[in-house]
Amino acid sequence: MKLPKDKSVIVERHNKVVYDCGDTVVKVFNGNKPAADIMNEALNLARADQAGIDVPELLEVGKVGNTWAIATKKVEGKTLRQLINEDPEVERMADFVELELQIHAHKNPLMNRQKDKYARMINSLGDIISEATQYELLVRLDGMPNHNKICHGDFVPSNIIVREDGTMSVCDWAHATQGNGGADCATTYLHLMLGGEKEIAEKYLRTYCERQGCEMSYIQNWMSIVAAAELARGRVVEQDYLLSMIDVVDYY
Amino acid sequence: MSEETKTVFDDGAALVVRSNEELLEKLALMREAQKEFATFTQEQVDKIFFEAAMAANKARIPLAKMAVEETGMGCVEDKVTKNHYASEYIYNAYKDTLTCGVIEEDPVFGIKKIAEPIGIIGAVIPTTNPTSTAIFKCLIALKTRNAIMISPHPRAKGCTAEAARIVNDAAVAAGAPEHLVGWIEALSLENTQVLMAESDIILATGGPGMVKAAYSSGTPALGVGAGNTPVIIDSTADVRMAVNSIIHSKTFDNGMICASEQSVTVVGDEAYAAAKAEFKLRGCYFLEGEELDRVRKTIIINGKLNARIVGQRAAAIAEMAGVKVPQSTKILIGEVESVDITEEFAHEKLSPVLAMYHADTFDEAIAKSERLVADGGYGHTSSLYIDTRETEKMAKHAAAMKTCRILVNTPSSHGGIGDLYNFKLAPSLTLGCGSWGGNSVSENVGVKHLINVKTVAERRENMLWYRVPEKVYFKRGCMPVALDELGTIMGKKRAFIVTDSFLYKSGFTKQIESKLDEMGIAHACFYDVAPDPTLQCAQEGVKQLSSFEPDTIIAVGGGSAMDAAKIMWLMYEHPEARFEDMAMNFMDIRKRIYPYPQMGNKCYFVAIPTSSGTGSECTPFAIITDAETGIKWPLADYQLLPNMAIVDTNNMMSQPKGLTSASGVDVLTHAMEAYVSIMASDYTDPLALRAGALVFKYLARAYDNPDDLEARDHMANASCLAGMAFANAFLGVNHSMAHKLGAYHHIPHGWANAIILTRVMRYNAAERPTKMGSFSQYEYPHAKERYVEFGRACGFDGATDDEVFENFIAGIEDLKEHVGVKKTIAEYGVDEQYFLDTLDEMSENAFNDQCTGANPRYPLISEIKEIYLDAYYDRPASSYED
Repeated sequence: MKLPKDKSVIVERHNKVVYDCGDTVVKVFNGNKPAADIMNEALNLARADQAGIDVPELLEVGKVGNTWAIATKKVEGKTLRQLINEDPEVERMADFVELELQIHAHKNPLMNRQKDKYARMINSLGDIISEATQYELLVRLDGMPNHNKICHGDFVPSNIIVREDGTMSVCDWAHATQGNGGADCATTYLHLMLGGEKEIAEKYLRTYCERQGCEMSYIQNWMSIVAAAELARGRVVEQDYLLSMIDVVDYY
Repeated sequence: MSEETKTVFDDGAALVVRSNEELLEKLALMREAQKEFATFTQEQVDKIFFEAAMAANKARIPLAKMAVEETGMGCVEDKVTKNHYASEYIYNAYKDTLTCGVIEEDPVFGIKKIAEPIGIIGAVIPTTNPTSTAIFKCLIALKTRNAIMISPHPRAKGCTAEAARIVNDAAVAAGAPEHLVGWIEALSLENTQVLMAESDIILATGGPGMVKAAYSSGTPALGVGAGNTPVIIDSTADVRMAVNSIIHSKTFDNGMICASEQSVTVVGDEAYAAAKAEFKLRGCYFLEGEELDRVRKTIIINGKLNARIVGQRAAAIAEMAGVKVPQSTKILIGEVESVDITEEFAHEKLSPVLAMYHADTFDEAIAKSERLVADGGYGHTSSLYIDTRETEKMAKHAAAMKTCRILVNTPSSHGGIGDLYNFKLAPSLTLGCGSWGGNSVSENVGVKHLINVKTVAERRENMLWYRVPEKVYFKRGCMPVALDELGTIMGKKRAFIVTDSFLYKSGFTKQIESKLDEMGIAHACFYDVAPDPTLQCAQEGVKQLSSFEPDTIIAVGGGSAMDAAKIMWLMYEHPEARFEDMAMNFMDIRKRIYPYPQMGNKCYFVAIPTSSGTGSECTPFAIITDAETGIKWPLADYQLLPNMAIVDTNNMMSQPKGLTSASGVDVLTHAMEAYVSIMASDYTDPLALRAGALVFKYLARAYDNPDDLEARDHMANASCLAGMAFANAFLGVNHSMAHKLGAYHHIPHGWANAIILTRVMRYNAAERPTKMGSFSQYEYPHAKERYVEFGRACGFDGATDDEVFENFIAGIEDLKEHVGVKKTIAEYGVDEQYFLDTLDEMSENAFNDQCTGANPRYPLISEIKEIYLDAYYDRPASSYED
């Protein structure tokens, strides 16, 4: 695919650049990103769309030069992150949690399974955590309740686009799976904590539990597992913090 | 087995597993070994059990050292105690327990219990008590002739394996097959899952994840989980003993026993202050101000227990939290308020860290404990310190705690595992948490959970009985003589006569009354009993009866008067008894749900029949109809048996022809049904046979010539004899069906029986009944033989049994015709449409009649319906065989 000359950069990360191309948004990945990852993200997006979730429409998967790119139809609006930054006083937590629970209400039996994904990630940590800890994490994961809700996997304010009319579209489906909503909640909590927003994280957790009608301990059961998953994504700076979350026991 | 493994554990017998394939291979070897072990005698097994326990005991110190060194948790000296306990206490508890072959036998009742091993035990062993749990599980596996494959915790795999090896070596040396004990060396979730799936039972000690994995593996599991033992120190408790017990228990192996105290709630200011002072005096540290928060954040991370504090000394934990305490500190205590799980101190801490709560009242303390149990320790253990004279409080506490062990005045670490502070609580290192903890057992796991018990139950016959009135007087003219006993011997003062208006008005009761007058017995009479007596009529009678307060009831009349009198007797003695309960059908009268109240405390019951049919004077039965609802309550219980029956032929002479006929054929039906009943016995058979013979000899005569005294006399006796037979052997489906013909179509009872009698005989006589009656004594369908015997006794003969049977049936038909019984239901004026409309309901109700249960053939409702139809339309009788 070809990008227009007047394109502008929306965001630049270590593995991708996202461009605003007028009517479309194009995510251009780094050259070393495996094709399978790109296809998986596009497929997740398509499946979320198919399940009835409000997502940017997938237009094209192709190459820009030598690297892979995904083009979607642009959703006019600002990200929730932008809105929070612009006006931190406005109360948005209820809407944020509600949107997440709405996503969880959808199902798509073809999506990747959350437990398989976490197990793979835990198994990849051989160099960082002990065999015993790995074993404990896997046993804990295995014992978690099996659900089949669509889980975004990276549900944070910067991945939510708020239109003028207040409706919201969710982008970046790279980490989506079907599984337990509690794990998704724990992930969001962890991301907020890692982003230095402790108070918002705590408030988010409380709101989620209230709305979902679950005990906080139910979400906390997932914390060590999602922390291990984060570690597997190569979080180096926060490694000690994540390790302290991982080094917990239910029982010995 | 790899070379490397062999050099590590150079024993050649134990099984060390490194991979999935190896695990499957070893399990196959193990299965072979276990098969051989399963043939071992109790003596062989006990020797192995002894040697294995001795070996483990000898190794208790090195194993304890290994465990502390490898896991970095706990206290060597306490682990020595645990190893010592796991070998000595377990051996002592089970040394004499039978676990092989026949373990229980009762030849009288024909019951035998045989213990069989289960096979391969998949054992999951935790880090907290690795060597002691391994010793425990291996020992109980060997005692029960099972093989055991251990999945140790990766943090404790070396010491766990060593404990297993020691037990295994000793067992092999004592004669056990090789390969009975194994362990997984290279642990993976996959290996553990394979073990769980492939073993025959899982003995899982582990966290919620492990326990859940065990239960979802499809293999039966004994899994146990985490506890959160709350302690209450009541205001009445011996605080010094309480506090020191808690310290002793909480510091044991640095707080790693899962039954160990996690929180203490003290009731009342005084006790709280005393407890705090004692804790301080004995070297516990109360966290102050900021220290509290620092420890909070150290022990719990995101609601989960920090792995690094488990089994550490108090001072070490304080140091991690940046709190300075003396090195000798025994326990870190946080005085906190919230019992909610968001309070870090409310968690299970597996370390010498304790939460302390204040409660104003005992109820408040219970509420706190309930919450703590609910949040982290459902099903495990709770503890109470109290003056044991406070039984009410103790009961309240026991009722409130959803824990499977409730320990009183006992250090919970030592108390929960049993046999140390209470000698009836089974010693175990696997503590069941019941369904509350997702477990299949709620007690301390022991050898009984590792055997399959086969119960061999031989057929035995029911005890039967023969119960009749205490006194049965008979012979023409016996009534005044018998009544005399009431006054002269029993000293009765007040008699209440129950009869019907016809008998009363015709002066029938006069002779009784004058006899009573003669003896100075006051009397009153209720004479409003109508045929098919109603509850309302009985209630009316009871009013009079109660105000008269008799010590004797004299029932005079036919079945109706005697039934009504029995009911009035019951209502008089037990006004609280409910008819719905008493009328409930029974399968076995001795096992009925509702026990009848004891009768005879107020009144003596005399029954004087004036017709020769029902036998009610000597039966435990009565039927009453609720006129308001139309419901018939058939009551049956030996409590309703009259105390005295007076069968005086003089009272029978005025029976009209119709009554003679109907009650006469009723006698025949009683006798015959009692004879073919599944409950017939040598005690009832002679009565039934004699009654039948008398009917054939004398019924026609009594019918033809009502003044034939001899015939009347024998018919009176026949009725009473048949009554005594069916009072004990019960009746059958003939009566069930006749009851409903009476209820739906008002055919007199005796005739209702007679219409279907020979049809039911053919039905019962079937060689291939659809279903036979179930009763231990009833071995095979033999109603036909019984009918033939009965027929012969009644004077019918033939070259073959079949011929006798046919002759007997013809004879019955002749007799019926002679005494004017009509041939079909239709002939009794039953409207065809109404008959058909009610037929299904009537058939179902006949099936459900109490009499059905003793019938030799267990009827289908559809079969009952067909018999009714046949009897309505005069179709040929059938046996309904194919």
